[in-house]
Amino acid sequence: MSTSANALEVDHVTKTFRIHREKTNSIKQLVAGKGRNRYDTFTALNDVSFEVREGEVFGVIGQNGSGKSTLLKCMAGILQPNKGRVSIHKRMSALLELGAGFHPELTGRENVFLNASILGMGRRDIAVRFDDIVEFAGLGAFIDSPVKTYSSGMYVRLAFAVAINVDPRLLIIDEILAVGDVTFQARCLEKFVEFRNDGRTIVLVTHDLASVKNMCDRAIWLRHGVITGEGDPSDLVEAYTEMMLGDRNRGADGSVRRGSGELQIDRVELFAGDNPEPVKRFRTGDDLLFRLHYHAESSVPRPIFGIEIEHLGGATVTTPCTRDIGLIPDVVRGHGVVDFAVKNVSLLPGTYDLHTSVTDFNRQHEYDMVHLALRFDVMSGRPYESSGIVTLRPEWTISES
Amino acid sequence: MSLRAAVANRNLLYLLSLRELRTRYKKSVLGWAWSLLNPLSQMLIFSMIFLYVFEQVPTTGEPSGLKNFPLYFLCGLLPFNFFSIGIGVSIGQVQNGAGLIKKVQFPHEHLVFSVIVAQFVTLLIEMVVLTIAMLIGGNMVLPWLPPLLLVLALLALFTTGIALVLSSCNVFFHDVNYLWGILVQLLFYATPIIYDPANIDLDVLQKIANYGPTGSFVIAVRNIMYDLRMPGTGRLIQLVVLAFGSFLIGAWVFNRLSPRFAEEM
Repeated sequence: MSTSANALEVDHVTKTFRIHREKTNSIKQLVAGKGRNRYDTFTALNDVSFEVREGEVFGVIGQNGSGKSTLLKCMAGILQPNKGRVSIHKRMSALLELGAGFHPELTGRENVFLNASILGMGRRDIAVRFDDIVEFAGLGAFIDSPVKTYSSGMYVRLAFAVAINVDPRLLIIDEILAVGDVTFQARCLEKFVEFRNDGRTIVLVTHDLASVKNMCDRAIWLRHGVITGEGDPSDLVEAYTEMMLGDRNRGADGSVRRGSGELQIDRVELFAGDNPEPVKRFRTGDDLLFRLHYHAESSVPRPIFGIEIEHLGGATVTTPCTRDIGLIPDVVRGHGVVDFAVKNVSLLPGTYDLHTSVTDFNRQHEYDMVHLALRFDVMSGRPYESSGIVTLRPEWTISES
Repeated sequence: MSLRAAVANRNLLYLLSLRELRTRYKKSVLGWAWSLLNPLSQMLIFSMIFLYVFEQVPTTGEPSGLKNFPLYFLCGLLPFNFFSIGIGVSIGQVQNGAGLIKKVQFPHEHLVFSVIVAQFVTLLIEMVVLTIAMLIGGNMVLPWLPPLLLVLALLALFTTGIALVLSSCNVFFHDVNYLWGILVQLLFYATPIIYDPANIDLDVLQKIANYGPTGSFVIAVRNIMYDLRMPGTGRLIQLVVLAFGSFLIGAWVFNRLSPRFAEEM
């Protein structure tokens, strides 16, 4: 592997952080603290080495706290490694956060110039690409309004448009392909593919395993700051998923739980019809009530409860959540229940699994996810269809013309 | 910070400075007029106190013969304000740029430079107003503007150096910000803005007023604009040493600390 064909080399990089027991942010504390030895050392990256070849799409996967972000920041030149070095051989652009440096009082136009020059573009280059940027963001006349008047969608669209137009030969991305609405996401993906087909190098740091599997040529797996695996993305993702499942708490009933745990779903009960006792089976056409019992040790603001019903065959039937209907409690504490009622259920005979999730309002932070919280059977009822998962309650007519 | 990187990024500096200027008086009705109203109101207050409360006689300019306290005062206040406000705003500038520093790689010193550039633009506007006032007052200052610019440029260099040290230290110890609030008051009175150092009897205080760093710049500006004469050679050498000394030390300290900013924030 010749050096000239590498776009990026990470060479024995070690990065440690000092965790101060008491943060000395004032001179008084520093003097009174008698020396500065009151810290622990935390090793975020331990002797990490890899190379990214030119034209390659390279994935970095790992759990939260595995050192992904630190590695990303070292590659982007934001953090300096304690040992080892990072060599960049191409014009690099790192997208860690969209719209970093946008000033709310300035107009979109002014911010485009500022943001692009922060990302390293010259003024003439920006002027040439300005129309492309506005076009891509789809802002139209809004480009001359202050950014603070933008919707969050417009904001990220403009930011992404700037970032993508910096025209890097090496792009380092931190899970930001999932911004904006569906149309915009599709355009981002298009741009991404265009980049790849152009022979540009992309480093994708993410825990979205599907995108690693689909897009990357090669990947590494970081665990506790050490490279645990390197190679084919599919194999790596498989090994990673297996490990993740093993890491979780496996309940006696086969349920699997993860999340930070401030708010937890203790159990899920299913009621059918007028029967006061919980059941595990019902018929198509019954009135159902799913009851989620939760408890929160401390106050949890604006939680979003969601469930997913999956057919045993693997097809997702439905994934409703309380955010979709705007049912958002200000704060939740102690014990309680969430009821999810379904009248005249449309599920057809078969076995189904129910998974629950509790997240914060932005659906970024997982308080509690229970995989396989409940398994239930549906027996034939009315209407009856011999196969399929749900019935659309069709009204058939046959007429002669 | 290599000079080459700074030049390569001059576009960024330009845009950051523009941001400073554009956002400064957003949402205020009088907008830019504030940058002039502030020194003018200070001039009115101190003129009242000086002329009518303490009943002092203003210093006569030599050789200009000008005898006007408000103009005497402005010659000192404007450069001092550039220095004190420039540093006051810079101190928090690096810390405020945390969102940027943690997410993008770029020359951090430009955050500080942009404040100084924006403040310097303000100073130049103020100097234009002062020049007009001087002409009305009978001081033919036009031929003296080139040496004035030279002194102001040295002042900017001096201010930048101190701003670099304080803004980078402020990331690690937020006390710097508060400390500066006290120090700037002390400096205001240690600098011959309201008074003439020649009128001080106590030798130590006179020396401080005459040769203190801010005093030196103020006196040089006043020599040029009020007295209409070049500052002495010794004075000019002092200014050059202060300006370059401060800038070099500032750049060295900032360069040492800036790789650690992202971690510390």
